[in-house]
Amino acid sequence: MSAARPGPAGAVESLVARTLLAGGLIGLALILAGGALYAAHGGFHHHVVHPTRPPGGAPPGVFTSVRQVLDGLRRHPMDPLAVTALGLVALMATPIVAVALAIAGFLRAGDRRYAAIAAIVLAMLVVSLAVAGGIH
Amino acid sequence: MSLTVFSLAVLFTSVGAGAVGSILGLGGGILLIPILTIFYGVDIHYAMGASIISVIATSSGAAASYLRTGLSNLRVGLFLVMATISGALVGALLAGVVPVRALELILGLALSYSAFTTIRQLHDELPEHLGEDRHAIRFDLGGRYHDLRLQREVTYRAQRVAPGFAAMFGAGLLSGMLGIGSGAFKVLAMDYLMRLPMKVSTATSNFMIGLTASASAGIYFSRGDINVLIVAPVAIGVLAGAYLGTTLMARMRNTTVRKLFLPIVVYLAISMILRGLGIHLL
Repeated sequence: MSAARPGPAGAVESLVARTLLAGGLIGLALILAGGALYAAHGGFHHHVVHPTRPPGGAPPGVFTSVRQVLDGLRRHPMDPLAVTALGLVALMATPIVAVALAIAGFLRAGDRRYAAIAAIVLAMLVVSLAVAGGIH
Repeated sequence: MSLTVFSLAVLFTSVGAGAVGSILGLGGGILLIPILTIFYGVDIHYAMGASIISVIATSSGAAASYLRTGLSNLRVGLFLVMATISGALVGALLAGVVPVRALELILGLALSYSAFTTIRQLHDELPEHLGEDRHAIRFDLGGRYHDLRLQREVTYRAQRVAPGFAAMFGAGLLSGMLGIGSGAFKVLAMDYLMRLPMKVSTATSNFMIGLTASASAGIYFSRGDINVLIVAPVAIGVLAGAYLGTTLMARMRNTTVRKLFLPIVVYLAISMILRGLGIHLL
């Protein structure tokens, strides 16, 4: 017997869906929190947006590593844009976390073939990230 | 431009990009990059950084809903994304080695052909019969969903899995070599080659593009292409747009989705042929 609604999604599908939703909401909350802090510090009054890249040095709002984001969070007073950047990092990591959890979900459902496929996909994602880092 | 005005304008634009992207399985970069660069004067690198985040946000926002309703097929997505990512990795290695313009020309012609096949099956609501493809049976590449528009359960199974898998590898290869998104090719491969229902094709593409984009987001981030002040309103707008898009798409006919998809294929075909001839629209 299957539930009439919301549809024929299996346990693994629900797990992945919940992970994607949670990641999206956490990212959104952090982005909004950072924006609110930035507004509270008068950021929206003082700044004119720089849509082009200045020669040399990164403009405000550009973080190039997770370490820089964490440094911004630890600073006193805290950099509000680092909070927003953390939200973006959470958003970027969400699909990868979802695939990692899918491996566990498929194993629990007894589907070894798809646990292996999800593991292959996760490995490929990690390799892609490493290759990207290597090029840089 | 003042930051407040800029943020609000980009936010509203992104709602539209997220809605269209989530309906068509594209991620919205194809719309967002030209708008950001032409109308808001955003640097192309920042626009591409914003686009990659918008793809992930669209995908996460939409796939969460599509997976729950069965429109996004997790197994089909994971199975095919193996081909796309390995294609993209090989493509990145080959970038700079292959003659790009010849490739763009070939791709443009292939897309023109796809546009004709899309026109030919424009009025097919659902694939006629369930396939007997042995790979589809072996890898359980099928499923069912409740179609809100047709008011019934739709059961489907992939056909021509081997060519579909090869096409996905090709899609990844091209996106790696040419630095373009591959959402449209994924949808074409699933809809035309594998004969999945159009809505399942775009919804599953939606799930897949998030995975491939998150793999390449790292490089944009470390290059300094992701500017928080530009990306934040994009991410918020796109998440809201994706939510809106999934609600709309669940109630659309498969033929409606295909009709909306056609202009994108035509645009891509024309811009690729022009690029092959040395004329860049953007």
